[in-house]
Amino acid sequence: MKGFLSKYGVLVAFLVLCIISAAWKPDLFLKPENLRNIINQNVPVGILAIGMTFVIIKGGIDLSVGSMIAFVGGLGLTLLNRQMANGTPELTAAMIAAGAMIGLGGLAGFVQGLIVAYGRVTPFVTTLIGMLAFRSMTLALANGGEVRSSSTEVWPAWGSDGIHIPWIKIADGRMDLVITYAIIAFFVVIGIASFILNKTRYGRYVIAVGANERAARYSAIPVERIKILTYTISGIAVGIGAIFLSGRMNSVASGSQGLFFELDAIAAVVIGGTSLRGGYGRIWGTFVGVLLLGVINNMLIFAGVGSHWQGVVKGMVILLAVLLQRERRDV
Amino acid sequence: MLKRISLFACAGTLVLGLAVGCGGGEKPSEGGESTTTTTSGAEGAKKFKVGVSVPAADHGWTGGALYWATEATKKYPDIEWTIETADTPSDQINDLDTLATKGVDALVILATESAPLTPKAKELKERGIFIVNVDRGFTEPVADVFLAGDNKAFGKMSAEYMVEKLGGKGNILILRGIPSTVDTDRYDTAMEVFKANPGIKVLDSQPGMWNKDTSYKVIQSMLVKHPQVDAIWSSDDDMSEGAEQALKEAGRDKNIWMLGGGGKKEIVKRIMDGDPMYPALVTYPPSMTAQAVDKCVELLKNGKKVDEKEILIKLDIVNKDNAKDFYFPNSVY
Repeated sequence: MKGFLSKYGVLVAFLVLCIISAAWKPDLFLKPENLRNIINQNVPVGILAIGMTFVIIKGGIDLSVGSMIAFVGGLGLTLLNRQMANGTPELTAAMIAAGAMIGLGGLAGFVQGLIVAYGRVTPFVTTLIGMLAFRSMTLALANGGEVRSSSTEVWPAWGSDGIHIPWIKIADGRMDLVITYAIIAFFVVIGIASFILNKTRYGRYVIAVGANERAARYSAIPVERIKILTYTISGIAVGIGAIFLSGRMNSVASGSQGLFFELDAIAAVVIGGTSLRGGYGRIWGTFVGVLLLGVINNMLIFAGVGSHWQGVVKGMVILLAVLLQRERRDV
Repeated sequence: MLKRISLFACAGTLVLGLAVGCGGGEKPSEGGESTTTTTSGAEGAKKFKVGVSVPAADHGWTGGALYWATEATKKYPDIEWTIETADTPSDQINDLDTLATKGVDALVILATESAPLTPKAKELKERGIFIVNVDRGFTEPVADVFLAGDNKAFGKMSAEYMVEKLGGKGNILILRGIPSTVDTDRYDTAMEVFKANPGIKVLDSQPGMWNKDTSYKVIQSMLVKHPQVDAIWSSDDDMSEGAEQALKEAGRDKNIWMLGGGGKKEIVKRIMDGDPMYPALVTYPPSMTAQAVDKCVELLKNGKKVDEKEILIKLDIVNKDNAKDFYFPNSVY
């Protein structure tokens, strides 16, 4: 029983939370629209958390993701606006901007990876610097205000449109429920990430480096390259998240976009059972962790818990989820 | 070899990053950004040094406050300006100490929080620094001049407008800001008005943290919870925009209107164009920082002869008729 809980504790905690929610507010919680909302709202944080999982398994941490999602989003939208001003068709401009966001995210992650691997600066410090610098550069880019996209059709549609489900209606039957592109992209990212972590040599190397860096080095694993790649993966994830976050609002608010996302992402990874000490982790756990946080936030609003007390409730649920699986270290 | 090249690449990118970061005239410094503008002043005249201390640009309004302050200082190149932004009251106290060490003659302060900053302001005044306080007042009458922003009036005016527009009857949702004195003052006075009108039902109130994305999530869940909503009291225009996205996705953007606050140019424009979702907003103009800078310069130059110790910043209801007077397309907010 203990072994089972330590492995699937997060799933148990999540299911218990869902059952309680469904029993308590069945008419609200189980509405298809609400379930869709819970996933959709948390896609940007969720994608960041998936990228973060690699970094944490490697034994690192990436504090820069919240600022970086604003930074690459802001630069991408600036590029989009410039392209459209030059007469590029909206769809092409949007595709260039999306590519640029992913590329820039990857590049930013790569640079942080280089500093960690070759500069031998600890991940915490390196990405703390990234967190400060990216936010600061975003503020400078937007002069403290916003970058608003001039795309009126394509970009906002990528952020909030998707596949229509004609047999599920919302808004008193006036609209179809939409499975957003963001949700689809989230599942694709999860699929790819699971494959990389569980089925490729690279994935095994990440775990090996996180478990024991010296042993990995003696086994001729290219430790530096593995490390750099984890931060690059995290950066690419940020780029993908930036597309949907900036699309949803069709803008990037330089001061507040993605603020504290790094904390939610780290929380989701830890709730999901990935060890902060590195060497062990799983993508599906992170996914459940993201959903767990989403359900808590959702239920806090349904229950009308006063804002000042929400942190306590949230903290307790997280503690419970982590306690359920704490014995795993000695496997 | 590869290692060395990589290190160079790191350093190069870092330098590049810093160059980009400073492109807007801002240098990262501990706990915020600082800008120093120095131009040679009139010959022989004493060159005043003035420090400006404002909260960090963590959402639209504070971004606007910083923008207006910076713009105003540019009008006076004969004064040496230092602008500091702070994330927290303790940051701001450190900033004020640094500015005092720099030997400023005067300070323009928009406090992150009133109470924690009061003792520091008092100490600096005793050192002989002239203090212009804007928006949030100190808890003791420390400032030489106080340009008061009135958050209680904000709450009252906005709630009264809503009650009137709803004809005294309707269901409303409330979006609150980051827990702080500003938010409490606005919310408490608004609630007094709502409670005095039994026809108004406040269905729910949750913090949107003056943040678009948070407000989007909060309103999305509230809309599932409450099938009958007439209007949203959103105390901030950024939050209105987040809520609007949630309304659209839920297909309820046609029958719910919002009363925002602040005076963000995009929202003012929508009011001007007669958008039914935004019938009005209550201004809480971030340009009050520019007013404070002007006042400070005026008083420094006339030998600190203060005629009015407290100046109340007027709040207005912006509606379709007067929106054009509040529309500043070049502002960042």
